[in-house]
Amino acid sequence: MTPRAAFRRGMRELLPFTPGVFAWGLVTGVAMAKSGLTVAQSLGMTFLAYAGSAQLAALPLMAAFAPLWLVTLTAVIVNLRFVVYAMVLRRHLAQLSLNTRLWLGYLTGDVMFVRYSTLLEQEPDYPQRVAYFAGGATCNWIIWQVASVIGILAAGAIPAQWGLGLAGTLALIALVVPLCRDRAALAGVLVSGAVAVLAHDLPLRLGLLLGIVVGCSFAIALERRAATGETAR
Amino acid sequence: MSQETYVWLAILGVTLATFLARSTVLLVGERLRLPPVVESALRYAPACALAGIIASDLLMTPAGLNLTLSNPRWLAGLAAAAIFAAFRSTIGAIFGGIAVFWLFRAWFGG
Repeated sequence: MTPRAAFRRGMRELLPFTPGVFAWGLVTGVAMAKSGLTVAQSLGMTFLAYAGSAQLAALPLMAAFAPLWLVTLTAVIVNLRFVVYAMVLRRHLAQLSLNTRLWLGYLTGDVMFVRYSTLLEQEPDYPQRVAYFAGGATCNWIIWQVASVIGILAAGAIPAQWGLGLAGTLALIALVVPLCRDRAALAGVLVSGAVAVLAHDLPLRLGLLLGIVVGCSFAIALERRAATGETAR
Repeated sequence: MSQETYVWLAILGVTLATFLARSTVLLVGERLRLPPVVESALRYAPACALAGIIASDLLMTPAGLNLTLSNPRWLAGLAAAAIFAAFRSTIGAIFGGIAVFWLFRAWFGG
């Protein structure tokens, strides 16, 4: 298989998530414009940072003229889930050139990361996985930026009560359902969700990170117990 | 510092923060060694990350946790999960969920 074919497959498999990615990009664009950023600043932010949740977290701080270190630290903490993603990706991308790794790092988003790890589970020997990842991540970037620019330019015309952000969350549901393929994964998902909700009042979306840690620990404990149970039998 | 300068520096701060979170581990690459149990636990990270985002977005309202029929968001999520499980259609899950959301919101006059 050629890298080009794998790149195209990555793009194709991201396309069904378009409504969700688009809605999120739109919401983020509208939020930037409505928080008082100029068009140039909003465009700069979406193309430089390309990090929806970190942008949304930084906006109220910026509107309040918060210290720059606090804005930066907040964005680091909101983005901590990307550190976890990078830990999963690093084994596959480690041998690539510095330049390529920088690009792929910039392009990493939630949706393509999960699609990629699903591919690794289903087809562990898939040859052109980096091209596949790059294709989907590029597709995600294009959809997001088009939506974000529309949101920036048309902020006044998009009412908040449409509930657009919901489309993004529903797209994530379509991603998570196939991942619940065994008891350990399902338990991890339920525990992580419950912890994130219970710890929702923690600042800087730390509840989300706590949910990942507790959920993963719970799932791996269940998996190990099931494995020892089988060998004992 | 003018407001213009401040905003641009803040944007660069968010950019730097995102770069650090997304790329540091990728750049360190194979030099980072993790215990095997952590490596295998990381397989569950994608699902757990999504679950946390989804659960807090659908269940938490400005007034706190809401698991009643007056919060159409989690009902929309439930519908989307059911549609996806039945038809394996992402588009169907998104638009079906949105339809359920609008339906319940109209019902409760929100």
